Amino acid sequence: MQFGIFTVGDVTTDPTTGHTPTEAERIRATVAIARKAEEAGLDVFATGEHHNPPFVPSSPTTLLAYIAAQTKRIILSTSTTLITTNDPVKIAEDFSVLQHLSGGRTDIMLGRGNTGPVYPWFGQDIRDAIPLTVEHYGLLRRLWREETVDWEGKLRTSLQGFTLAPRPLDDVPPFVWHASIRTPEVAELAAYFGDGFFANHIFWPASHTRSMVELYRRRFAHYGHGTPEQAIVGLGGQVFMRRNSQDAVSEFRPYFDNAPVYGHGPSLEDFTASTPLTVGSPAEVIEKTLSFRDYVGDYQRQLFLMDHAGLPLRTVLEQLELLGEEVVPVLRKEFAVGRPADVPAAPTHASLLRARRSDSTPQSTGNDQENPEPR
Amino acid sequence: MKLTIITGGLREPSSTRLLADRLLTAVTSELEEAGETVEPSFVELRPLGHPIMNAMLTGFTGEELETAFKTVADADGLIVVTPAFNASFSGLFKSFFDVLPERILWDMPVLIGATGGTERHTLVLEHALRPMFSYLHAIVSPRAVYAATSDFGSQTGYALAGRIDAAAADFARLLRGCGPRARRDAAEEDVAAMQQLLGGIA
Repeated sequence: MQFGIFTVGDVTTDPTTGHTPTEAERIRATVAIARKAEEAGLDVFATGEHHNPPFVPSSPTTLLAYIAAQTKRIILSTSTTLITTNDPVKIAEDFSVLQHLSGGRTDIMLGRGNTGPVYPWFGQDIRDAIPLTVEHYGLLRRLWREETVDWEGKLRTSLQGFTLAPRPLDDVPPFVWHASIRTPEVAELAAYFGDGFFANHIFWPASHTRSMVELYRRRFAHYGHGTPEQAIVGLGGQVFMRRNSQDAVSEFRPYFDNAPVYGHGPSLEDFTASTPLTVGSPAEVIEKTLSFRDYVGDYQRQLFLMDHAGLPLRTVLEQLELLGEEVVPVLRKEFAVGRPADVPAAPTHASLLRARRSDSTPQSTGNDQENPEPR
Repeated sequence: MKLTIITGGLREPSSTRLLADRLLTAVTSELEEAGETVEPSFVELRPLGHPIMNAMLTGFTGEELETAFKTVADADGLIVVTPAFNASFSGLFKSFFDVLPERILWDMPVLIGATGGTERHTLVLEHALRPMFSYLHAIVSPRAVYAATSDFGSQTGYALAGRIDAAAADFARLLRGCGPRARRDAAEEDVAAMQQLLGGIA
């Protein structure tokens, strides 16, 4: 099972000090956070994509490439890449380059994005969001898998004899996760192609996440990719920890109460009671995270939102230390207990490459180790 | 037949709830005379005030609000009653329908009612409630009931009873005509639409 963090990249005033980081500070802090995530032994760092203030990550592959150069092991992903407003040819190119630069430590999470104005900025129409998702993704898959692509769609100019350059590393496309908060169509899309489904879980009661994941698992099996239990599931979550539970609550409360996403809504207590948010000791975080398995089954990837709501960099780095030292080692051990042998791990470049070779002529080029070094 | 009664009264006891109870009693007796059994459930909006506002501000839908949505979605018909505020429904009543997931009210038979201080607000039913429920693709029963404070006094109580009975008779006939309501599953509909799209690229 993979553990990691996902950032939204919000620039938010720290309500306890009044300090608002500059965009430069926030971007550099994001790099420090990613490096710390690797140092703390996490498996994945993922960044969102936003095109409006107060968010800074408008160019995820630029950011991820810079992080790739400063790390060795951690998988770099997005959370999410907008499949609707980005051109699929450009997505294919950007991620191919990132794959080569990072030595295959790359996957991608696709989403539609949900702010209306972003569509016209990129020449699209929000009313086409779902058809754009399907058409763009259909093209992206072909660009990564076929040497020469002739393609015709309704929402983009056609391609004749197009070849993606560079080709994906080892001819293995990045593993794709489809992310959704509340859209069943996305679960269907992931199931249809046998891709991963990431339920961004953070604002929703367990019952909702359960039904979305059940739908995806059922449809994954329907399309012949394996049993429902073998479908590839990821979950979001968010935590704030201090050794002493009360310290965590009192320190996090002003951030929660003023955060753009939570603020002036339900109380911290109501929100923690009915969503995955955990504010407390590492033991409480462990207990709650393990409970996710009760309603989604054995799953493959758990990402935590750690650096939001104006929390200072120093605090975020402390959180990552606690996560890496006290939480994730226990979660790895406990999630392995009772996990059926035929439930796959999250696909990586190495595992996809092995699968590809066993499909064709078995041969080794010696670069399919679990955690490839950048080449 | 499952009836869900949505009431937006803010006080306890509430004249809005009182009108809702009387409408339910009248509709139930009409239906029972016709051999139907009635299974009522109530959604009181006052205790949902904070959850409704949370859903508006942060998109967060707690369990209690989810339960209320399910009670509405499972109904064969609705009786909805709001106090009249400033020539319209109350903001809380409107907000509940603003956060109710899309499509739940499609082809839902609805009996509308309102209460208010004076009978001068009677038309709130026709210029506020009826257009909103039409917009939501509900089937709004032809006769609606407005009860002013004076209606609850002993002098004119009889007139209110007559209006309730007449509206209940209309609504019972509408419910029987519509029969048990096919439960819409928005998720399944979305998935079906997605399958069609995916069929186009496979």
